[in-house]
Amino acid sequence: MIKIRNVNKWFGDLHVLKDISLNVALGEVLVVCGPSGSGKSTLIRCINRLEQIQEGELIVDNLNVHDRNINLTQLRAEIGFVFQQFNLYPHMTALGNVTLAPIKVRKMKKIEAEKLGRETMQKVGLGDKVDSYPAQLSGGQQQRVAIARGLCMRPKIMLFDEPTSALDPEMINEVLEVMVNLAKEGMTMIVVTHEMGFAREVAKRILFMDEGQIVETAPPNEFFTNPKHKRTQLFLSKILSH
Amino acid sequence: MLLLYITRLIDVFPLFLKGLWMTIAVSFLSLITATILGFLAGICRSSRNMPLRRAIGVYVNLIRGTPFLVQVFTIFFILPEFGIHLEPFPAAIIAMTIMGSAFICEIVAAGIEAVPKGQREAAISTGLSRNQQIRYVILPQAMRTILPPLVGQYVLLVKDSSIVSVIGVMDLTRVGWLTVQRIPEGMLVFGLVGIMYFAVCYPLIRLATRLEKRMSVEEYSL
Repeated sequence: MIKIRNVNKWFGDLHVLKDISLNVALGEVLVVCGPSGSGKSTLIRCINRLEQIQEGELIVDNLNVHDRNINLTQLRAEIGFVFQQFNLYPHMTALGNVTLAPIKVRKMKKIEAEKLGRETMQKVGLGDKVDSYPAQLSGGQQQRVAIARGLCMRPKIMLFDEPTSALDPEMINEVLEVMVNLAKEGMTMIVVTHEMGFAREVAKRILFMDEGQIVETAPPNEFFTNPKHKRTQLFLSKILSH
Repeated sequence: MLLLYITRLIDVFPLFLKGLWMTIAVSFLSLITATILGFLAGICRSSRNMPLRRAIGVYVNLIRGTPFLVQVFTIFFILPEFGIHLEPFPAAIIAMTIMGSAFICEIVAAGIEAVPKGQREAAISTGLSRNQQIRYVILPQAMRTILPPLVGQYVLLVKDSSIVSVIGVMDLTRVGWLTVQRIPEGMLVFGLVGIMYFAVCYPLIRLATRLEKRMSVEEYSL
């Protein structure tokens, strides 16, 4: 589904992605973790071309993402993206948020899009909040609307960039629950997160990044019980110590 | 003597109304064209097209860095040297449009800049085209920042319209000039002129203040 070959990226002089190679299969859930500044957010932002890469090849669903002639609209319509800060449109209701792209990009009729929007809002447990504005919703609810906004495009892939990091602790679970369900339905997902409980439950593999490199990739069991690399061990001891 | 002047002023009052009407016409027409042009320029100024951004930057700085009176003279007296003759009225509209659009461009560009980056990224991620991003996501939010100074700019536009009287547009200021030559009571004549300008501008000033207050307290909710 996603093939990443020898990808390099620089921000000015800063080498943020160093020779990254990675495959993600259809239906796979990949969790990416690592210290801040390790390049994990940048990596998934390259996948829907919010960021450009300078070297290497990135293929999503047989589309070469960094090809000059690529149809970006088509690419991005297939990839849902959930941000740390939700980034809901504050001037629209929840329903307006989730139906905008289906109507404007997928060219759905408004009635159809709203039907889909209501169903999807139901799915993330917010069937009664369709007419609320983002400012009237809690952080957890906003993030679930953001997930619904991605899902309404019926994407083949969902990318999550630290979806629970901006949330109060008591709201993290409602968001993770939605993501767990999504994983169980067979959605292809890449999730940048430090929620190791989530990783253990649904990830097929966990990828650990540090200083722009992939340090280690392993299934959850192996990753938590027998991390091979020193840096992974150090990182795990830090985040699992309490 | 003063009484005589006042009765004579009342006699020429219809002329003042005509002048007022002309001031409103010039201001209103150029307000519309300047707004359209200013928004287009402002949106382009925040685009990724570097040559276009630079070109608009030069235009804006050039207009903001020269007196409006000089711009009016340039259009009315210098263009004919190149074979372009304009009547005072269209020349006035053109000058006001050029001047107004440069200021509105900056207001619009600043408003667009003020919309958080994440908003555009969210719109990009769902596949919206650049135009759709601007139209459905960026501009509606930018309008909160844009509206108060935009209305303020309209007030300036109305007041600056007095300058086009120098090229013969029969606006309020010019009516004042002509009248004062027959009724040598400047205080009275220009007092009246001032009051009439104020009558047009004051509602706009109030509107700008109200918008500013509303925009600063308004959360996006019902």
